[in-house]
Amino acid sequence: MARMVVACVSSHLRKTGDGAKTFIIFLCHLLRGLHTITDKEQDSLISKNIQTHRRHWKNCCQWKFISQALLTFQTQILDYIMDHYLSKHFLSVFSSSTKERTLCRSSLELLLEAYFCGRVGRNNHSFISQLTCNYFFKSMACESGFEEVFDLVDDYFVELNVGVTGLPVSDSRIVAGLVLHRDFSVYCPADGDIRIVIVTETIQPLFSTSGSEFILNSEAQFHTSQFWIMEKTKAIMKHLQSQNVKLLLSSVKQPDLVIYYAGLNGISVVECLSPEEVSLIQRIIGLSPFVLAQASAQYEICNTALVKFCKPLILRSKRYVHLGLISTCSFIPHCIVLCGPVQGLVEQHEDALHGAFKMLRQLFKDLDLNYMIRTSDQNHTSSPPTYKTSRESNPLPEIVSGLIQRPYQGTVVKNKGKLAKTQTYLKVYSNLVVPNVELETCIPYSTPKVTPTDTYQTDETLRCLPPTKTRIIDDSEPFIESNSANSIAENTGIEISYENLQVTKMARKGSMLPVREKSLEMCTSQSYCCSTLPAGCVLPVGGNFEILLHYYLLNHARKCQQSEETIVSMIIANALLGVPKILYKSKKGKYSFPQIYVRTLHALQTSQPMVSSQTGLESVAGKYQLLTSVLQCLTKILTIDLVINIKRQPQEMYDQDSEEEV
Amino acid sequence: MSRLEAKKPSSCKSEPLTSERVRATLCVLKGILTSSYGPSGRLKQVHNGLGGCVCTTSHSSALLSNLPVTHPILKILTTSMQNHVSCFSDCGLFTAILCCNLIENLQRTGLTPTTVIKLNQQLLCLCTSYLKSESCGCRILVDFSRPQTLLCLVRSIVTSKPASMLTREETDHISALVLRAFLLTIPDNSKDRLILGKSIIVPLKGQRVLDSSVFPGILLEMSEVQLMKILPIKKSDAFKVALFCASLSGDLSDTGEGTVVVSSRVSLENAALEQLLNLGRQLVSDHVDLVMCQKVIHPSLKQFLHMHRVIAVDRIGVAVMEPLSKVTGTPPIGSLGSISPSSYGSVKDLCPAKFGFKHFLHLIPNEATICSLLLCSRNDTAWDELKLTCQTALHALQLTIKEPSVLLGGGCTETHLAAYIRHKICNEPESILKDDGCTQTELQLITEAFCSALESVAGSLEHDGGEVLTDMKYGHFWSTQAESPSVVNWPDLLSRCGCGLYNSQEELHWSFLKTTRHPFAPQTCLPHEATGSANNLTLDCFTAKLSGLQVAVETANLILDLSYIIEDKN
Repeated sequence: MARMVVACVSSHLRKTGDGAKTFIIFLCHLLRGLHTITDKEQDSLISKNIQTHRRHWKNCCQWKFISQALLTFQTQILDYIMDHYLSKHFLSVFSSSTKERTLCRSSLELLLEAYFCGRVGRNNHSFISQLTCNYFFKSMACESGFEEVFDLVDDYFVELNVGVTGLPVSDSRIVAGLVLHRDFSVYCPADGDIRIVIVTETIQPLFSTSGSEFILNSEAQFHTSQFWIMEKTKAIMKHLQSQNVKLLLSSVKQPDLVIYYAGLNGISVVECLSPEEVSLIQRIIGLSPFVLAQASAQYEICNTALVKFCKPLILRSKRYVHLGLISTCSFIPHCIVLCGPVQGLVEQHEDALHGAFKMLRQLFKDLDLNYMIRTSDQNHTSSPPTYKTSRESNPLPEIVSGLIQRPYQGTVVKNKGKLAKTQTYLKVYSNLVVPNVELETCIPYSTPKVTPTDTYQTDETLRCLPPTKTRIIDDSEPFIESNSANSIAENTGIEISYENLQVTKMARKGSMLPVREKSLEMCTSQSYCCSTLPAGCVLPVGGNFEILLHYYLLNHARKCQQSEETIVSMIIANALLGVPKILYKSKKGKYSFPQIYVRTLHALQTSQPMVSSQTGLESVAGKYQLLTSVLQCLTKILTIDLVINIKRQPQEMYDQDSEEEV
Repeated sequence: MSRLEAKKPSSCKSEPLTSERVRATLCVLKGILTSSYGPSGRLKQVHNGLGGCVCTTSHSSALLSNLPVTHPILKILTTSMQNHVSCFSDCGLFTAILCCNLIENLQRTGLTPTTVIKLNQQLLCLCTSYLKSESCGCRILVDFSRPQTLLCLVRSIVTSKPASMLTREETDHISALVLRAFLLTIPDNSKDRLILGKSIIVPLKGQRVLDSSVFPGILLEMSEVQLMKILPIKKSDAFKVALFCASLSGDLSDTGEGTVVVSSRVSLENAALEQLLNLGRQLVSDHVDLVMCQKVIHPSLKQFLHMHRVIAVDRIGVAVMEPLSKVTGTPPIGSLGSISPSSYGSVKDLCPAKFGFKHFLHLIPNEATICSLLLCSRNDTAWDELKLTCQTALHALQLTIKEPSVLLGGGCTETHLAAYIRHKICNEPESILKDDGCTQTELQLITEAFCSALESVAGSLEHDGGEVLTDMKYGHFWSTQAESPSVVNWPDLLSRCGCGLYNSQEELHWSFLKTTRHPFAPQTCLPHEATGSANNLTLDCFTAKLSGLQVAVETANLILDLSYIIEDKN
């Protein structure tokens, strides 16, 4: 069982790079909460004379029941609450002054500082977080391309950092360019125009290739073939030289002959590159490997790229290849040299850095929230025909114009006097129009979407706003306003969908399809919502997320009629508090947990801004992921009723849990 | 069949440093290291009860790599020190002792690790910025026009390794040799970037240390028979050399993944040999005098070359290839086919040499940065230690060329630094306290722990029971002879301070190192003439010592920060 939990944790960690400890704490509290509840029910429901065996089965059924309730909670209530209540508290890492999304350096620093706090020793954490921040800003080519940078750094993290033991941590630094973890086979100092090629096979032709046969009939033939091989190699290297190629990167070991001729022609050679290194270089400079067949012809080699420099780099008497690649993507290559007195410490820092990039990668992705709301509204039955008429009567351009007008009004009302900004909204909307039209024409069944009631129209346009708005201004204030407006309008319960505006058309269609099917099945008694948490949402550290969610979940539970939903919400809400409880355990007086808790709740009830005692930020997307991962793990645990140990082959030295479901 | 064993559960210990056992082992380790420190340090004999070689040493790298350490905390400490030594060769014991002292002293303060680590780091910053600053009173800029400073540095390193068993005369000889060997590796005409050559240490055991010497170029060891075969060497102005890295044994190179079908009447061996002989013919017609091969040369080719009075040397090994290609001034040849004339190198002269019972072929280059340091010593253990010492000294010289300063040795840097920090903290504590939530008392406790750790490193230089003192003007380190009378006139008893910069005849006041004294400002900014005139100073490598200081503090912080040890006992 524990092994399964560990597997869940590590898969979560692989994805987000954060929150392993919180995972365990939270899961533990959830299980405890469940235990107390089942115990209570058992006492009241099951009479004493029932056999223990039967009680066990009964118990299992109950657990299974709970696990289903959890699943529905996760898919419906959680997203709903995230979208409606929590989102108004979110801050963003983007600075709000400009129209463009620009990363705010200070908030990124706060975020990283908080992240490294628990991962790197006390004396180093601020240094490491500064290093990461610098690295990030140095390797970012332009403001817009940071998603690509994160993807790349996360994927190729091993290739982008060099660990050096025996030096103090403070000697760690960032070097411009790419450092390959090996030495030159031949190094010919060169400056000026340096071109490189990548090869994936040996340049020297061999006697025979696989699947073929080479028949030697005479000694003379042997001589001539060897002579031919030599001449050919020579010719290729000469050709490369004539094309101004000064560096040959090879993923395989090249024969001595090639090395020799490379040296004669002033070409440096780096051999035995790993496939990852090759693909990283290819991604950075967009260079495809050089095919030998082309070389025989006398035309120019097109697969070459220019580098700024290429020189050996000596770190602690070990030599590395240092390349100044000229990037063609939004990532400007930089490498981190991590120093530390012991290997273990260097590895710890490497892992922490990798985790940080994973976390940032998650943070800068939009998070899709899908949920449905049950309503008792009777309008639905009549909505399909209404839609039909509306669709026929309102030609598409009109809808479009409506869409353009509505936000105008809406924003004027909401953000009094922000006329200048609405102007930009309009611009964005004109971009939006096309995909929206596409969307509506291709999904005829998602009926109530364009129901021509005025409130819905505004509602929809409003709901379309937040993501754009955050992209443009990213001020949390208007965001809150429009959102709270949304939650009021929500009660009307018409199916409203809007999509992440940056997703392509295809993705849109794909994600809309299940919505359509479901709504047919369920006879539109439920309404679906898709919404997006904009990229870059953060909250202050110190259990803020947990307390907020706790508060709203309790509120929600109070409103709910169904008992199971209430129970599940209560359990989760209480378990959530476990995390801040532990965080504030060592604090005394004003900063002890009850004090903080009461203060925050008070602030929430009177809708004052919350005061946080700590600086530092954490990613909302990460927290959300964590919550869903824990719930999934919990449902997995609850559906298991029996653990059977089986002995495998003794060589394997371990026995494996088999998981069987009833 | 492997034996199966039940898995043992992992063990988890909390607060490892508070355990009595850990403290005891740490104390033992510290004892071992402290007693080996410095010129008068005691030697350690490391041996295995079952036999095998015995290692007599006081050198940190030999000592730490041979010590069996089991406790995780000690493992961190020793690997950290070993890593430092493999980076810088020097100052290993200094780092290790300082780290042990810091752990012990800071543990004793009883403050929370957070405070300790934060303040420790601040004090370290204070140290490093002072050592790097212009006004530093214990750093000397190296003037390369005067080799005296470098010689002092080498001699300090050589004398601090007593296990090499050198007399005073031998020490001077070896120091001079090391410095010469180093100077030979510096290229004459360096452009923008200085690329140092290499000194190859050639072992010659069973000879007097004073027989050691330095030669430019390379000494290739070979048997007498081989050498006789080569002789007599015809005389010419320069010798043309062909250096091969490809095998000349006539084996077939990689034939690819497919199959090669050979008809029965075709003999590939003959074909390959024919190719080799063709190569030989080309070499002869190109007037090559010396053929050297990393791998094996086919006997027939050897015979052929010998007939044409070409010297052939094979099985050189990959280690010597790089220096050889520097000596001959050409990259190794990887082809058996036509060789372009530009691939031949040359040496100025070639002569047989005999040292002790060993025969060498001596390649004298025209102009190269490679030299051979022939090291002699009477027995194996002393030779091993001597070799380590020379390597350390050469490395220290290389580091000094990169960063041209040296620190005062003999414990003076430590005491001076301690005095500086005490004074700084006493007079302007605000500079450190401003952003942290630490109190003045905490800062004073940590400072005291830090400074006394530094001072007791200096104190461990004294092994003969003498008193250790510091003066109140420069903050230098002084030690007395053992069993001196208790009340004396200090200037008569003391002669020079640890580094040899100041003598006791100045008007100085002394205080015991262990007693508390009023913080004073040690005199900063070394006067230039003071360093210039003194020619018998004890000096330390600046880069190694600075990094050692940082590593020691960081490792101590790391160890103090540990609150749990989880060990997998399987």
